[in-house]
Amino acid sequence: MFSCWTRRQKANMSKAKATQPQVIHKVIMVGSGGVGKSALTLQFMYDEFVEDYEPTKADSYRKKVVLDGEEVQIDILDTAGQEDYAAIRDNYFRSGEGFLCVFSITEQESFQATADFREQILRVKNDDNIPFLLVGNKADLEEKRQVTVDEAQQRAQQWSVPYVETSAKTRANVDKVFYDLMREIRSRKMEATRQSNGKPKKKKEKRRKCTLL
Amino acid sequence: MDEKDEVRHNVIFVVRTITLQASKASKVAMAQHGLARVLSSQGFDPDNFVSKLCQSGEEELMTMKQKVQMLSDDTAQSLKKNVYKNYSQFIETAKEISILEGEMYQLSHMLTEQKSLMSNMMEMSLVSERAVVEEPVVKEEAEENPEEETRKNLAFLLEKVEGCSSVTEVPGRQLVHNGDLVELDSETFNQIQRVHCFLLNDSLMLASWLPNRRGPVRYRFQGLYELDSLAVVNVRDAGPHKNTFKILMFPDSKIYQADSAKSKRQWLDILEETKKNKAARDKQKKEAAMLLAEQQAAAALSPVEDKKVLTDEDESEALAAMETDFLNADWLQELPEDLDMCIAQRDFEGAVDLVERVNEFLVSCPKVPAVKEFKARIDHRVKQLTEGLMSELQVSPERSLRGGPRAARRAVAQLIRLGKSAQACDLFLKNRSAIIKYNIRQIKFEGATTLYIRCLCGVFFPNLMDTGREFLKAFQEHFGCMSAFVVWAKQELQTFVDTFKRQVFGGKSNMTTIAECIHTVRQSCMELHAIGLDLDCCFEEMLEENLEKYINETREQFVEGIKYRGAEDKWRPMNHLSNKDCNKFLEETSVAGLDLSDLVYDDCFISLTMNTSHFCKTCLSLARDLLSMYTPQLDVLITNTLVEIFAAQVVHMEQTLKLQEFAGERDFIMKNAQYILEVLMGKIEQVYKDKNVDFPPQLEKVNAEYRRLKSLVKTLPAS
Ligand SMILES: Nc1nc2c(ncn2[C@@H]2O[C@H](COP(=O)(O)OP(=O)(O)OP(=O)(O)O)[C@@H](O)[C@H]2O)c(=O)[nH]1
Ligand SMILES: [Mg+2]
Repeated sequence: MFSCWTRRQKANMSKAKATQPQVIHKVIMVGSGGVGKSALTLQFMYDEFVEDYEPTKADSYRKKVVLDGEEVQIDILDTAGQEDYAAIRDNYFRSGEGFLCVFSITEQESFQATADFREQILRVKNDDNIPFLLVGNKADLEEKRQVTVDEAQQRAQQWSVPYVETSAKTRANVDKVFYDLMREIRSRKMEATRQSNGKPKKKKEKRRKCTLL
Repeated sequence: MDEKDEVRHNVIFVVRTITLQASKASKVAMAQHGLARVLSSQGFDPDNFVSKLCQSGEEELMTMKQKVQMLSDDTAQSLKKNVYKNYSQFIETAKEISILEGEMYQLSHMLTEQKSLMSNMMEMSLVSERAVVEEPVVKEEAEENPEEETRKNLAFLLEKVEGCSSVTEVPGRQLVHNGDLVELDSETFNQIQRVHCFLLNDSLMLASWLPNRRGPVRYRFQGLYELDSLAVVNVRDAGPHKNTFKILMFPDSKIYQADSAKSKRQWLDILEETKKNKAARDKQKKEAAMLLAEQQAAAALSPVEDKKVLTDEDESEALAAMETDFLNADWLQELPEDLDMCIAQRDFEGAVDLVERVNEFLVSCPKVPAVKEFKARIDHRVKQLTEGLMSELQVSPERSLRGGPRAARRAVAQLIRLGKSAQACDLFLKNRSAIIKYNIRQIKFEGATTLYIRCLCGVFFPNLMDTGREFLKAFQEHFGCMSAFVVWAKQELQTFVDTFKRQVFGGKSNMTTIAECIHTVRQSCMELHAIGLDLDCCFEEMLEENLEKYINETREQFVEGIKYRGAEDKWRPMNHLSNKDCNKFLEETSVAGLDLSDLVYDDCFISLTMNTSHFCKTCLSLARDLLSMYTPQLDVLITNTLVEIFAAQVVHMEQTLKLQEFAGERDFIMKNAQYILEVLMGKIEQVYKDKNVDFPPQLEKVNAEYRRLKSLVKTLPAS
């Protein structure tokens, strides 16, 4: 009685078609609420600026980009800056390969908060060299600046990460921060494969032998 | 074609038809007819017969045609006769057909029922989609009655998902939301599999869809993730893949595709809210736990108990490894489906067979989760089966009762096997009540009360008896049910007696009719003793009030009548004018049980008054009626009735004796008195004797009244 439709469903369910595996760089936007994480993401994704502020919960985007001549995919996870969601950030941060830690140059508090984000990321990823950019956004609002470039740069140096000022509104440096981060991620990945050329390769050989046997 | 040929053809045709009819018709009727014998002989060849005929010339042919025509008429006639002969058979067949018709009706009813059952089942499989829409309602209910709702939800899980018993065993766990989703590859977004997600109030259960599975189990448990360790991401852009969202459960990250934007939105909202609720609950729990920990720290807990609990858990885990082996047998795997099949086909016996078989098997199984889960699935079906059986017994107005007892018997037997004897008993008796009611309604009131009561008894008591026999057979070892039957029988009797009273006391029935009716019922009650049911006392009790009232009323009327007629009494002997009329009268009274022949004089005179003879006739008949209704409870009433009536008559006679007006008739009056007080009373005594009832001393005293009157006469002044 029940088998008819289930079989039909099965026929509809084509198994995954083998597509060429593409490199995906997983970027996570972190930073206090309202600093412009979503604005940056949307500007990068769709070349548009959204004036309205709608707090984010957790959104993800995927886009094909050409990084130094190589077609790759960027996977952006735009997280919630608002404090309500702080407790569950760990779960999100784990999936990231690189972080854009955004603050608004017009808001000192958001700059202070970057330290907490940094700390949390390092704790969750357990990696001091995780690809990471400190991003001072809303650079177009120079007249409202509360965070000096020096201040920010100093902190970036302290963390050994680049500092970039952006404007989601004017698109200034928007592509740059994403591409720079992707490059960092890419180099970290290459580094990792290079590092694992020794031991892991042996493992692989072993595995192959096993299959041969 | 010439004329001869045509005639020949016609004859062949007629002969053929007749042969056919003749062989059907009674052979006896045909025997005397020579032609018929030839025609109906076994090896008869019409062509041969006709060609021979043709050789004998036209005239012969014509006469033959006539003969054949006559035979044809005869055959038709005899066929008709045969129809009448078999008339009773026709009637019976017609009846049979009407019964068949009734059964067909029931069959079609069953079919529609089955159809609705099927559509219900279809709906059930759509529950998931429904739950989406009704989610807030479900939640509210869950808060109102969490226990109930939990059980319901979890049963639903067990029905759908294989291997999720551990999930359902957590107390307080509830289903919040569930639905079909498609899992996509998190890198390539290609479809991986169909899944069904069950959002519980504390975790998310993922189940993969099982292809080629029949029956309700459609998914296999894939994983359970605690809500606080997973993160939900709204995928706003995944290229061409619409309505997707991610669930991050480290180290996994999965992407699911909903079938609509609305469904995705719902998932995201409900997930978020449930996560929040869970967090709030956890916070509360933590605070409570901290409080408890403080208290426990104060009252140092013995560590031994903790250890014990641990080893118990270990053991059950070891068993869990074995458990699946128990359930691997093919028949067990297919059993839930087979059960569904049996229930759908209304093969109740088959279904109960399966249930018994599996229960027997499960007794020997360890109580491990997989077995419990399996048992829960079986139990769920047993519930369905029980409901099906119960509805079989339920009396619905549109359902024909024909074939009812058979179906009921079947259902009862199976219900008892399922251990639902109490319900079976209740429904069975209700069913029988309906049947009795229906059958009683079929009786047409023909006018004669006795006849109606006889019919009523003829329907009611055999039905009661049948039910009793049926009941004893069905509930043999269920003694608890026996009292239910007795209570039921008493209730039915009450309904019966109500009808009885309406018919018997409601109309203007005379006492003879009433006595006859009561007698019929009593006889029927006695027959019930055959099945060990004694309702005699119940019947008497139910009747008592009405009967007593009736007897009292009758007595009052009787006494009134005596007074009335007494006033009119002229104390003349009956004069029937002719010997013939006198004999006719004697005949009538002798039918009533009185012999007046010794009192006849001068051919047409009887030396009793009309009043006396009337009194004797009615009084004797009353005594007979009263005594035919005799019960020890009525003894006093009957005696008093007779005593009072006699007293009234004695008063009448005594008064007239004292009257100077009738001083000349004293001898005649005393003759009447003697007949009434000695002969009639003697007859009444005989009635008592016939009924095996002791003659009451009060009536014996009445006898003495004659002597009293005699001595009274002596004291009276002569005329
Ligand atoms: N002038 C100016 N306004 C900006 C810029 N970036 C964002 N905004 C505005 O700032 C507000 C908040 O921006 P969002 O991008 O939604 O902030 P967010 O970091 O995503 O905030 P959460 O989602 O709550 O974490 C919006 O009204 C934006 O229009 C910018 O570069 N310049
Ligand atoms: Mg945002």
